[in-house]
Amino acid sequence: MIEIGSFIKLQRTKQEMTLGELSEGIVSVSYLSKIENQKTQASPEIIQLLCNRLGIEVDNNQEEAIKEKCQQWYSMLFEVSDKDEVIATYKEIQEMMDKNLSDSLMMFEIHKIRYYLILGEYDEALKKINELSEISGTFDNLQQYYWFKFRGNYNSSSGNQNQAMYYYKLAEERISRLEIEENEIADLQYIIAITQSKLRNTLEAIDYANKSLNIFMKQYNFIRCAQCHNVLGISYRRIKLYDKAIKNFNLALHLGKLDKNKQLIQLTNQNLGYLYSTKGDSVEAIKHYKEIIFDCEVDIVERLASVSSLVREYYNIKNYQEARNSIKYGLKLIEEVQDMEPYKIFYYVIYTYNYLLSEKFDKFETLVAKEFIPYLKLHKDYASIVIYAELLAKHYEKLFKYKDAAKYYKEANFAYEQISNI
Amino acid sequence: MKKLLAGLSLVALLVGGFAFVQDNNATDLTMDREPTIYGTSSTTVQF
Repeated sequence: MIEIGSFIKLQRTKQEMTLGELSEGIVSVSYLSKIENQKTQASPEIIQLLCNRLGIEVDNNQEEAIKEKCQQWYSMLFEVSDKDEVIATYKEIQEMMDKNLSDSLMMFEIHKIRYYLILGEYDEALKKINELSEISGTFDNLQQYYWFKFRGNYNSSSGNQNQAMYYYKLAEERISRLEIEENEIADLQYIIAITQSKLRNTLEAIDYANKSLNIFMKQYNFIRCAQCHNVLGISYRRIKLYDKAIKNFNLALHLGKLDKNKQLIQLTNQNLGYLYSTKGDSVEAIKHYKEIIFDCEVDIVERLASVSSLVREYYNIKNYQEARNSIKYGLKLIEEVQDMEPYKIFYYVIYTYNYLLSEKFDKFETLVAKEFIPYLKLHKDYASIVIYAELLAKHYEKLFKYKDAAKYYKEANFAYEQISNI
Repeated sequence: MKKLLAGLSLVALLVGGFAFVQDNNATDLTMDREPTIYGTSSTTVQF
């Protein structure tokens, strides 16, 4: 049964009522505060009066219907489905919750974090987290599991991978105390694999990706399998086991094609392109990048990512004409993006090479030194710092500016140290 | 001579870099593209 105190507090804050407004003529403010914080057991009569004022019926006639609807909605949030359907079901449940005291309320409130994240409403998700923080002490084990998982999701979406990992690990600890379905466990393991990969904890990423892959394979969930193969491909590339990496990427491509999932196919092409780039096989790298850039079915961010990679690849093999053509296309894509902030990295990459190739060296130096490298430092993207600090250092070296060159070689070296164990 | 000194100072700076402590909170924005953390089921509409 849901704790009545938490329920009253939740409803009161949602309706923006003060303690005084709700308690007036029923109980004292301090007594209501004690009820809300579960420091006392109020009589059924008082609860009835408080609920009346909040406009809530204290019956559970609709309990089964609410429970069923919630389960349906949670499944929609688990495997992202039709946006309109998710919103419509949410509204339907919210209406029922507003009129009934349901056991499912707290879990519904916790799932709202995931709901807002999926809709891209990050401020609302944070607001919900802050609101629930006050009553999180009353959560049971299952509620805690989702509370931690979704808080992790919030941090993943805001780019704070270390904090995300902290919450995912707390969620993982709850699994042993609960009877959770296998696909939910696989989902958490998959998310941990992604987060470990982003943190460049390669062996842990492999471990968790394999664990989740085993479950998804048993369930014939091709798309999730393909996503796991992508994480494995990235990880094996990082430890230079190229054959294993290619095998995993090819499996991901195969599964993506089986499901006609363009996003996944092109994501894999991007990763394969980068693999060949690091192996020094520019021809193969360019082939994979080119598969993506003109595919209008793919998110613009993926096209921008591959144009950026393509520019770098052409520059590295000194095919400056093709690099310029790719820059031109990249600038056109940048114009199409309404909110560039989340994709600023690609803006910097394209403009860096644009200034360098058009010999606007002052602009190049200012952009890389004053904006791009500080941006990368802020996001702790050390792999990119190695590349762009070295690019700037080489530029200064060519101009015999050895002091500046040394400064940026040192930056590159420091960044390299952060992602490698020597 | 001037070039040699500059070269030497560059090497010294590079070696000095090894004294830094490794950061275990590194992220990667461009190179590898990990899939989404949100579940994607087959034959569904993407957000």
